[in-house]
Amino acid sequence: MASLAGSSISMQQTRHALATSRVSGLKLVSFTNQGRNNLSFGLSPMPARLRISCAAKPETVDKVCEIVRKQLAVPSDKPVTGESKFAELGADSLDTVEIVMGLEEEFGITVEEDNAQNIATVLDAAELIDKLCGGKSA
Amino acid sequence: MNIRCFQRNFCAAFPPLVPLQLPSPMETHLWYILPDEVKSWGLLNHYSELLSPCERESVNRMRGDQLKKRALLARALVRTTIARYQTNCQMNPRSLKFRNNLYGKPEVEWRNEDNLSPLPLHFNISHTSTMIACGVTVNVPIGIDIEEKQRRTKNNIIAFAQRYFSPYEVKVLTAISDPQVQRQEFIKLWTLKEAYVKALGKGFSALPFKTFTIRFRDTTMRNFHPPGTTVSEASDIIVESSDDPTNPANNWQCALLEVAGSHYGAICMEKDRIAGANAPMKLTAWKTVPFVEDVCVSGTDAVLALGGIIGQ
Repeated sequence: MASLAGSSISMQQTRHALATSRVSGLKLVSFTNQGRNNLSFGLSPMPARLRISCAAKPETVDKVCEIVRKQLAVPSDKPVTGESKFAELGADSLDTVEIVMGLEEEFGITVEEDNAQNIATVLDAAELIDKLCGGKSA
Repeated sequence: MNIRCFQRNFCAAFPPLVPLQLPSPMETHLWYILPDEVKSWGLLNHYSELLSPCERESVNRMRGDQLKKRALLARALVRTTIARYQTNCQMNPRSLKFRNNLYGKPEVEWRNEDNLSPLPLHFNISHTSTMIACGVTVNVPIGIDIEEKQRRTKNNIIAFAQRYFSPYEVKVLTAISDPQVQRQEFIKLWTLKEAYVKALGKGFSALPFKTFTIRFRDTTMRNFHPPGTTVSEASDIIVESSDDPTNPANNWQCALLEVAGSHYGAICMEKDRIAGANAPMKLTAWKTVPFVEDVCVSGTDAVLALGGIIGQ
């Protein structure tokens, strides 16, 4: 598809364009591993936006990705990772609430509405889940 | 890089927006786009030129062409809609600035240096994959929500309602035996609750759905509908706070519509104290392709009143 107005909207984005725009000069190999959190950057400092938290277990992130992918019917060729924002995957408010409900059922937790509001990415959800599950045995 | 000369060529190709008067008190203007009707790349280019760099970035971050197009049309609809109401001079939709309130609800930021006279208008948008809608009121806040009539939930409706809706609403839904009707009544309730929360500008977390109930009341008989019956055109829509059910949220007025045969739309607006507590909500609606065609659809099958007092 043609790109719009030169520098403005491009409707043809490759899978890795997103990755390279965030941390210049580094190849984010782990972006191809959906949901995995084991990013090894070496020595370059990370931009503040790329928040890598050790608080969320990879298996939690994976499960959240799966639930999100199903709810939003994300095509298999589109990646869903920890960084994925629900809104950018096309979630509206009903989708988000359904995702939260799906997470509650999957993990046996209750997410209060004020917590639900702060969930914007897969990683946000995974961290909250791990925190709520913190009382339970690992 | 100077992209302005690039813009001028496109501007010449499209006629200016048709200006119009602001809505009157207690009136809503509803504008909607059907994305499938917008196919021209030249037109999409023109819309993208109206956006701020920040908005273009947000559009670009959407995953997939359809989502990008939807996001682009949403911003273009907001900007062109508001620009129509500046009747003193031609307002360039590109000059509008926006900000979010404390809870993230977008509003226009009027600044002296933009040479725009501030308008006392409020707006709210909602979109699905097949429609983008923008509601406009004057003086009072507005919230709107649209959903496809056929939208299916992944979760069981009653389970979902038990988790998020009020006990009365669960009772109403549970009493409906036909699954298709139950689903549609669920969608209607959802849009009304969303519209109310969006009108208040507080968002889902500050106003959990369980804390208020939407009821339909037959205006002719002044009785509440027994659970199991569906809302009819002659219904009032009442919002009750769970904390204080005897004192309905009388300063908010809700209405429910069917739009373009495919969507339910809910509108919630604060009552204008000057206009009077019982002034009926008026609605004027247009189907639009900005810069190409505006069709007033009020009073046609494209906009059917389902509840709440609406004069079209």
